[in-house]
Amino acid sequence: MESVEKGGMEDQVEIVARAFVDHYYHLFDNNRPSLSSLYQNTSMLSFEGQNILGVDDISKKLTQLPFDHCKHFISTIDCQPSPLAGGILVFVSGYIQLLGEEHQLRFSQMFQLIPMPQGSFFVQNDIFRLNYG
Amino acid sequence: MALPNQQQVDYPSFKLVIVGDGGTGKTTFVKRHLTGEFEKKYEPTIGVEVHPLDFFTNCGKVRFYCWDTAGQEKFGGLRDGYYIHGQCAIIMFDVTARLTYKNVPTWHRDLCRVCENIPIVLCGNKVDVKNRQVKAKQVTFHRKKNLQYYEISAKSNYNFEKPFLYLARKLAGDPNLHFVESPALAPPEVHIDMVAQQQHEAELAMAANQPLPDDDDDAFD
Repeated sequence: MESVEKGGMEDQVEIVARAFVDHYYHLFDNNRPSLSSLYQNTSMLSFEGQNILGVDDISKKLTQLPFDHCKHFISTIDCQPSPLAGGILVFVSGYIQLLGEEHQLRFSQMFQLIPMPQGSFFVQNDIFRLNYG
Repeated sequence: MALPNQQQVDYPSFKLVIVGDGGTGKTTFVKRHLTGEFEKKYEPTIGVEVHPLDFFTNCGKVRFYCWDTAGQEKFGGLRDGYYIHGQCAIIMFDVTARLTYKNVPTWHRDLCRVCENIPIVLCGNKVDVKNRQVKAKQVTFHRKKNLQYYEISAKSNYNFEKPFLYLARKLAGDPNLHFVESPALAPPEVHIDMVAQQQHEAELAMAANQPLPDDDDDAFD
């Protein structure tokens, strides 16, 4: 198959995806409660096999994780336009360093971003897994 | 069970799985044993650190390959690969954090789903701390499930050997087995108030004769 020249559309998808990834993990590592601004009532989170629906419960889950300080290091970011109008699929891999833990934990995370009328995006789907075992 | 890159021994050895909430002191506990700490190996694909802990019994040496997580339990339950081929286990909670005791039934269920009928010790850690949230007499889960319970303080080495002695006796099928020599331990970082602790142990002994609360698996509210 011939490689396809990147169009303006795909550049746009990649720009949004990368900006989102930067923003998301910056908030996660520095101000976890404010992650709630990225989700809506229809949002779904699958976190290590636990399914959570809606911004309130998602925010509660993320803020109540039993560690205070962590830092995400991103290794790869892949993205595609989703079949929903203007939606973007983002797949991230990397590792997390928890304060007080000697070893890093590898993780993968997938998001589906959906555009809002005012031009910003929200996270409709978020699937997180640690990679081990 | 040793990791593939870890030294095998010609005396009896057992895979010991350590579970419990994050922050209860599992890693601190295994690190007290100095030779185990020197010979530990990390396996990133399984996300586990294995400490080989040797003990000297009247029947010869015994080794526990203690499996310790890299903190994955702070995100959710552990994968089956962590439990598989476990031959004995320690479930740890923190007597200064009530929630970690409330979660003991979940850890016990997850463990027993993969490892049926292995000897298990429940350990209440941090008994050196003054403000306990879980009193000795409130610990009843082990009586419902036939586990052994010990109060420990990893930082002071209090009761460090007890869980291993219990497990060694069960695994050897010899209730008279005893340790003939103490392993080298890291020096105590804190000291325990032995008068207060003896009081707790007395309460525990008294509580053992009381009827069990009938609230199913709920530890307490």
